[in-house]
Amino acid sequence: MDFDFSPEEQKFAEDVEQWLVDNHDPVVMDHHRENFSQLSDTPERRAFMKKLAKQGWLGMSWPKEYGGQEIEGVYEFILTEALARHAAPQIGKGVGIIGKTLIRHGSEKLKKEFLPQILNAEVEFAVGYSEPQAGSDAANMQLKAEPVEGGWLLNGQKMWTTSAHFADWYWVGARTDPDKSKHAGLSLFLIPMDHPGLEVQSLPTVGKDTTNQVFFEDVFVPSDYLVGERGKGFQYISEALDLERFTMFTLSPITNRTQVLVDYTKTATRDEKPIGEEPDTRRLVANIVTDTAVAKALSTRFLCAAKQGGKPPTVQSSQYKLFTTSLSQRVCDEALDITGAAGTIREGQEMAPLLGRFEGAYRATMNETVGGGSSEIQKNIIARRHLGLPKNF
Amino acid sequence: MDLEFTEEQEAIRDMTHALLEEHSSVEVVRIAENDPRGYPDSLWKQMAEAGLVGILVPEEYGGGGLTMIDAALVYEEIGRAMAPVPHFVSGVMSAGLLLEAGSEEQKQSWLPKIASGEAILTPAWLEPGGGYGEAGIQLEAKRDGDAYVLSGTKLHVNYGGVAERLVTLARSDEGVELLLVDPDSPGVTLTHYLSQSGEPHFRVDFDGVRVPESERIGAAGSGWNTYDTVMHRGIILLAAQAIGGAARCLEETVEYTKVRIQFDKPLGAFQALAHYMADASTRIDGGRVLAHEAAWNAAEGRSIARLAPMAKLFACNTYQQSTRMCAQVWGGVAFTIEYDVQMFFRRAKEMQLSWWDTPYLEELVAADVLDD
Repeated sequence: MDFDFSPEEQKFAEDVEQWLVDNHDPVVMDHHRENFSQLSDTPERRAFMKKLAKQGWLGMSWPKEYGGQEIEGVYEFILTEALARHAAPQIGKGVGIIGKTLIRHGSEKLKKEFLPQILNAEVEFAVGYSEPQAGSDAANMQLKAEPVEGGWLLNGQKMWTTSAHFADWYWVGARTDPDKSKHAGLSLFLIPMDHPGLEVQSLPTVGKDTTNQVFFEDVFVPSDYLVGERGKGFQYISEALDLERFTMFTLSPITNRTQVLVDYTKTATRDEKPIGEEPDTRRLVANIVTDTAVAKALSTRFLCAAKQGGKPPTVQSSQYKLFTTSLSQRVCDEALDITGAAGTIREGQEMAPLLGRFEGAYRATMNETVGGGSSEIQKNIIARRHLGLPKNF
Repeated sequence: MDLEFTEEQEAIRDMTHALLEEHSSVEVVRIAENDPRGYPDSLWKQMAEAGLVGILVPEEYGGGGLTMIDAALVYEEIGRAMAPVPHFVSGVMSAGLLLEAGSEEQKQSWLPKIASGEAILTPAWLEPGGGYGEAGIQLEAKRDGDAYVLSGTKLHVNYGGVAERLVTLARSDEGVELLLVDPDSPGVTLTHYLSQSGEPHFRVDFDGVRVPESERIGAAGSGWNTYDTVMHRGIILLAAQAIGGAARCLEETVEYTKVRIQFDKPLGAFQALAHYMADASTRIDGGRVLAHEAAWNAAEGRSIARLAPMAKLFACNTYQQSTRMCAQVWGGVAFTIEYDVQMFFRRAKEMQLSWWDTPYLEELVAADVLDD
């Protein structure tokens, strides 16, 4: 048993930390963007990713033959948490979901085309799974992929595609085999985002940024841009989600916010008395700090299970996501309770406590218990795979 | 970073599990409830022979000299089995106080007997109307020559009826003292009363009880610091115990929901219930790692000022909440004495209120976080 990183891991964490301090840029690193800070959606942020690539920090866990270093996933965990702590863009979907799926299941052509671009931070992806009729029921995708001469013709609609307004390529699930069962009829495709017939419509959110809906009208995809085997799409999607959930829901933004709340509580006053002396506030802070420690414990549990290899740490990842995302919302909620009426002032104005950090975060974290598998989906996973309970839907 | 145990640690856990399965069955636990002695001899003897009673006592005093990580594993099993033993009061708290501040002579006379299970010692700490902190210690210790004269009352002296010494916290002119009091001394009166869990609690009245100064543990006035230090270690083990109880109660509930049919399907196929249980399992698995983290930090000699209270706070709240949830899932049978879920339910609440309760633990965490 050891709750410390190894000396090598510790050294890496320190190097990354130093590098992020040296390369600090308020345009690139913005805590007020909350969970959208992970996106590389501006020229400055893409330039930052190129710098990360030059450091050799993209694809560290990939096999050497694809340009990786074959080092343990824990280094990517350390890097991702450090980037999130600084509100910098993260290594994201390319290195994770798309790169790793291509390495495991992709054709040589797709590997050759995309893996070097990912490692050099030359490509940004959007991931398209959700649809109007496929939210939590992700396997219910209806986007139609009909076989035609030399490829596929895609028609239909995607929802909640976060990066569609700036990405270069679209990683999309579509129904290739409508006669097969719901899960077996799906395949994955890669499509250039500027492809004729693709129309991206912005869907502004209550948080800080926009998500999108994407419409497909006779979008032709050549056969060799179907990823892996036809009909295995849902399997690939689930596999990648198990491994990548920790990159989608990092812990450090929550520990950051908890610390911001603690610092605020230490210094703010009400009726000329320090709020840090109010018994109710002390209880509240104690429980937030404690639950943040439990979230870290669940993260450690997930990390250690992943390190062991073998089965993907599905249960550990679901427990982590379930607990951490609801805590994330609670921290914002209770922080606003502590600030009182002043907490209602919209983010960004001088009048607001902490420039409205928690007002903004309160809105921005609303999607965390929904996206990436809602809390209810996580509970179903835990109930079935951890507790062995019968199927319940 | 790894959460794996050594082979030796796993062997201790497995051995404890097997021993308690055999000697601390639910039937044994039920018989021990409300008994003023509070523990079966056979179980205590078995645990002592297996080296579990003296697990934290150094080898030079006849113990196992193991770490807090080993002890946390043992305590999770004690929690699972609801083992009715005076282990915490004697093997953890009393032994810990002696180790922390006792004289060599005190250690020599008591630690080997504690480790072998031959002697049971228990703290006499809480007082009527008093809190869990230093200010709660008001029992008077008046100097008279080379002795203290004790007057006052203690409550919640667990296993007081079988203790050879009461490690009594008392207030002298110098501060709080820890005194080894022979319960057979003139002026000591013990009264048994029932507790929610069935563990024996005693009220102890001290009426002019003379205790030689040589029975004081540590320097004059240093008692609370010693007690506070040992409590911080102790509550980590209680966190592990609470997790053990919660885990077993949940496991039994999960199994029940696989076989209990209502509306033509097993209860576990109802999402309303499955989601309760998924939530509970998440809290239990997280609380366990936090308890282990606290135990590991203690074993490494690092600060546990924040981790220890966080571990007990979260684990005991989880135990209380999850056993209430389990009772709800069991339905009507949960509140019959015949079914076991009520045994966990009662213990969970008692653990939450004992050895520092939720508000006290919250304040310990808050003080560590907020006060410079």
